[in-house]
Amino acid sequence: MRAAVAADQFYQETRDLRVTGFLLFMVSDLVLFSSFIFAYLYLRNTGQGWPPPGAPHLNLALAALNSVALFGSGATIHFALENWKHEKFMKFAGWMLATIMLGIMFLSGQGIEYYSLYTVDHASWAGSGVFGASFFTLTGMHGLHVFAGIIYLTVLLLQAAQGKYTFKYYTGLTLGTLYWHFVDVIWVVLFSIFYLI
Amino acid sequence: MEHFAIVERSAAVFFGMLVFIAAAVALKNDWKATGVENQVFKLMLALLAFGALLGIFAGLGIIGKA
Repeated sequence: MRAAVAADQFYQETRDLRVTGFLLFMVSDLVLFSSFIFAYLYLRNTGQGWPPPGAPHLNLALAALNSVALFGSGATIHFALENWKHEKFMKFAGWMLATIMLGIMFLSGQGIEYYSLYTVDHASWAGSGVFGASFFTLTGMHGLHVFAGIIYLTVLLLQAAQGKYTFKYYTGLTLGTLYWHFVDVIWVVLFSIFYLI
Repeated sequence: MEHFAIVERSAAVFFGMLVFIAAAVALKNDWKATGVENQVFKLMLALLAFGALLGIFAGLGIIGKA
């Protein structure tokens, strides 16, 4: 009994620290993305007109659908965490799987876009000037984060199924949700700067 | 190819609306939640709803470069 109380006290005391530590990691990641985004915006506004001559044509319809899939995954992971809080494991697992599938869908859409740019427009990271370098660097870096997130969420789902988290102690799941929301929000910015403005 | 784009746009608008509603409802339900991570969640959900709106408008052809 005393051990349980001590464990509970330790969890409560360290929980905020772990969340804050993870938020700091997210801030550092935000700085990384911000550096590349501002570099892109600087290049865009100091060049002689935008888009530069010969810049590849981006598929807005595909990107809009792809974006909605990723934003949808932000909603599904939120539902997953809410169901965990309400001690509904099966619903939690269902929403987590939906999140992972939507993440895979997003990456597949990104792959189609890359393939189309490479084969139709002959665009590449190094061979398409400022636009190609910026586009492939930023979207590629984001895609790597989505890929890492898919692995992260899969591991969390497996750990939850194995009983690593309880309905009382589940900081890991909260942090996974935070990470996935972060990846979503970064895409709001990237979608806007590459496809909308 | 053009038909395919229409399907993509229509799907973006339809699912965008679903996502917007889901994010708005989740934000409303979480509005009174406290704690550092819940504050971040609320910010993220608001941005998510904004992103869904962008997807809807892009699907409708109101914004975007194509």
